[in-house]
Parts: sequence; structure tokens; C-alpha cells
Amino acid sequence: MLETNLCGVTLKNPVIAASGTFGFGAEYSQLFDVSGLGAICTKGLTLHPREGNPGLRVWETPAGMMNSIGLQNPGISVFLERELPRMRTLGTAIIANVGGGDLEEYVEGVRLVSGAEGVDIIELNISCPNVHEGGMAFGIKCDVAASVVTAVRRVCGKPLMVKLSPNAEDITAMAVACEQAGADAVSLVNTFKALAIDIHTRKPVFDNVTAGLSGPCIKPIALRMVWEVARAVHIPVVGIGGIATWQDALEFLMAGATAIQVGTATFVKPTAMLDIVDGLERYCTVEHLVTGDSPSCCNIQWRIP
Amino acid sequence: MTNPTPAYVEGATVLLQERLTDDVYRLTVAATTGGGPGQFYMVHAWDREPLLARPISIHSVDEDTVSFLYQVRGRGTELLARLDEGGEVTLTGPLGHGFYTEELHGRVAIVTGGIGIAPVFCLASTLPPGDVTVIAGFKSTPYAVAELLTLGVDVQVATEDGCEGTRGFCTAIFDPTAFDTVVTCGPIPMMARVAQLCAEAVVPCQASLEAHMACGVGACLGCSFPTVSGNKRVCADGPVFDAAEVIWHA
Repeated sequence: MLETNLCGVTLKNPVIAASGTFGFGAEYSQLFDVSGLGAICTKGLTLHPREGNPGLRVWETPAGMMNSIGLQNPGISVFLERELPRMRTLGTAIIANVGGGDLEEYVEGVRLVSGAEGVDIIELNISCPNVHEGGMAFGIKCDVAASVVTAVRRVCGKPLMVKLSPNAEDITAMAVACEQAGADAVSLVNTFKALAIDIHTRKPVFDNVTAGLSGPCIKPIALRMVWEVARAVHIPVVGIGGIATWQDALEFLMAGATAIQVGTATFVKPTAMLDIVDGLERYCTVEHLVTGDSPSCCNIQWRIP
Repeated sequence: MTNPTPAYVEGATVLLQERLTDDVYRLTVAATTGGGPGQFYMVHAWDREPLLARPISIHSVDEDTVSFLYQVRGRGTELLARLDEGGEVTLTGPLGHGFYTEELHGRVAIVTGGIGIAPVFCLASTLPPGDVTVIAGFKSTPYAVAELLTLGVDVQVATEDGCEGTRGFCTAIFDPTAFDTVVTCGPIPMMARVAQLCAEAVVPCQASLEAHMACGVGACLGCSFPTVSGNKRVCADGPVFDAAEVIWHA
């Protein structure tokens, strides 16, 4: 009933596990049937393995949390050899999230992942706020982002979705720049650059000083950004930012998103995404949105003006 | 020991809430999910705030119940402490890799600081009593000691204010050469000292680490800790590690 087409890839439903919150799917598959998800985004991958950031990495805030993981990952070749075959047994679509420290690393990383059987979509991460060199640096200015997307596009034989940062100078212009540079979709938003200070030590909580804010507290801002971007581009928009319930998910779909990603909410309730799928199905049924003309409720024009 | 598969359980009933000291409580809930010594649960017992569940180690466990010994440290544990009999908690667990009990042989010392005593009852219940010595340090009034005595283990207490046992840190009354294997759980500086003493005496030591966690299941990498073989996840690779592998002063 919720079947969704994202860049030519058919998803069972529009509910996707967000990158960095779901590992490579194995951990949560002990707790629930992850084949009920539309797709899983992998932990952010880089060409070379990364140990991530030192010091405290997570910190709770009112209605949210901050993280400073720093793209800890085993590197793309280990992913392809060890994790991808396991992921392919999970029974859901696979979105490989690829980051990089410089242009070359992005291009080489995407080239490698693009050749891998079993990866359905590549999500280009130009929005990680927690690595010094690269990551978000590519997601602030439109021309820098466009140059990465253009270079990556040349080597990418799979659908290319670009994950945007809410810290971009102008998120709408950024989305348009990525579309013009060849992106097949955009996903937004990554975490907001934020700060926490330990008043006892009189120092920032994080070694990196700033960290990325996620969770319910960012939802209204993320929703506004998705709505603005969806009105400006002609490619699919995947909504991300504090989605915890099916009602939240519907808001993003109505704002113009084709699909949505869930991250922090999974930490609070491992089965949150399955609840969202159930809630969306119930809503479609109760509101009589599924008819002969429109057998999937994702063919329905949810969108607000 | 094979660990049981973790489960997500909503509405586990509170059977007992005991206040042991000013800020230390023991919560017993009805749950059939089990678990081994050194494993933990993510515990959630509130509506929207705070956001995340709290990782709490298993104090004791049987077929029908799990109990948690915890100290009130912030908003989450404060709300846990307000639960009464008949209240409900949400649990994810049992999680993590607990103590390597098969490697605990001969004379075993369990060296703890403060609320680090939480997993000891569960651990000591699985060991031959005559061989176990618990060396427990507290800031002030000790807790959770009486039930250890019922297991027949030897308990030595140190308190920082000298109100009971030896005055000072537990590490001052711990002599690793008197033991064949050591387990430690407590604040990082204390465990680092125990690890150092054990390394010098060439006695194997297992350390149970604590960390801020978001997911608790190994997915978010928020609780990683440096070891000689790279960053490890406290929640999924631990919380129990070979103390010689941990980089204590990163």
C-alpha cells in the first residue's frame, strides 16, 4: 500500500533508517524485523577507515541529542567485503552513504561503491558537521557542493541522492545547485551545528567544541526546509529531521517529501519506524486514500501548496 | 556463555522499589528476558523527557525478574526513583558482552568503586563463593554489601569518609598478588589504577566500562572507548573488556 518510487528504485514504503543511526542493519535486526523498512542508509562510509572523534560523543538535550561521532567507519573496501553481503540478506533496499575528506576521496569512494552489486542508491554526505577537513565544508557553499556533485556524478552509475546540511548558507539554493550538478534526489536535513558547555569544568562538552543536534527539537525547522526545497526542485526530496511518529512523517510527506528518514527516534524506541509504517497505512485506509486509481497511497498528492 | 537475544519490552511491571541510601535504589521488574553478569538493559520509564533510555547493568536476574541497582545522577534516574510498585518501565535488553566468567579461576578479586558494585551480586552468584573477595569502595555509607555476604563471599569495605571499613580508596587495600584473576567496575580513574596494579603484578583483569549511550545496541558508535586494537563500542563490544586492552588515559 505504501510502495514508493525513489529515483527509479522501488521501496516497500517511504520509511528509511537514517545514516549513522542504524549501523549496517545487523544490530537492530536482533530487535525487530528490519525487512519491514523501506530502506536502510549505511553508516557514513569513507574511502579510508576512520577512528572517529575522541572524547565524549553523545549528549542529551531537551527534546534532542547532540553527537560528535566523526564518521568512524571501517572504510569502503571493508564495507563491500564484509558488511554489504550481510546487509543484502536483510530484505530491504540499501542506500550507501558516502562521505569524504577531499574531492578525490569522494570521487574514489563513489566509484568503488557504484560498482557494487546490491547497493540501490548512493547518498552523498556533504553535510557531516563533525569532521574538520571536508564533510560539512562541502555543504555550506553552493559552488563547492556543485563541484563535488559534478565530479561524483561522472563516476556514479547508480541513483545519486545528496544529503544536505541545514547549516548551508541557503538550503534552497543549495538544493537547486545539486540538482543542476546532476543529483537524482536530495535528502535533508543532516544535524544542526550546536554547542553544549559543561558548567562544572567550564569547558565545551565535546572535544570538537561543536557537535550535531538531532531529535524532535529540530523537526519544525527541518520541515520548513523540506517544504522550501520541495517547491524549488524537480527531483525527489527525502525528508529528515526529528521524525518520531507517523504524524511527523505525514507532515514531511505533505510538505513535499517523497520519502522520509528516521534516526534519533530509533534510539528511543527501536521499533519506531515500524510504528510509522503502520500509522501511515492506517491513515491511508481511514482517509480512503487508496482507491482503484491510486493503489499506492504514495501516488497521492499529499502536498500542501 | 551464550548471551540471550535482546528484546524490546514495553510495560514491564515494577515489583519492588527499594531505597538503599540517600541516592541509591534497587528496582525489581517483572521480565523474562534474562541476561548474564555484566550485561545491561536500556531502561526508559517516562513519556517524552528526557529523550533517551538509560543504560543500567543487571544487579540480579532470574527467570521472571530483573533487578537494577542505580544511583540518582540526573533527570532520568530521578524519574526512575519515583516509580512505585505496579508502575511500568520499558526495557531493551539484555545487551552487551558481560564478564568472561569462564576465565575467572582460582582466587577472584572484584574491586568496585561506588555504584560500580551494581553488577557484582549477579557475577558473584555465578562463582564458587569461597574463592571470591569483593573489595568495595564508597564515598560514605556502603550499600548492597549485605546480600553479598549471604552468598558467602568475603567483602572488604573502604570508605572515603571512614564511616565504615578502612578510610580511603579501595585501591589502597587491594593487593593483586593475593589473587589469580581480577574484575573491576567503577569510576575510570579507579579502574585505571586497578588495571595498572594488575599489569604490574601480571594478574589478568576484566574491567566493566560505563559510557554515555544513545542506542545501546552498537549502531550509533556514540559510546566508543579507545583500546589497543582501535575504538571499541562500550555497549556492544563491552561493557566488559580486558583491562590491559583499554587505553585508560586517552
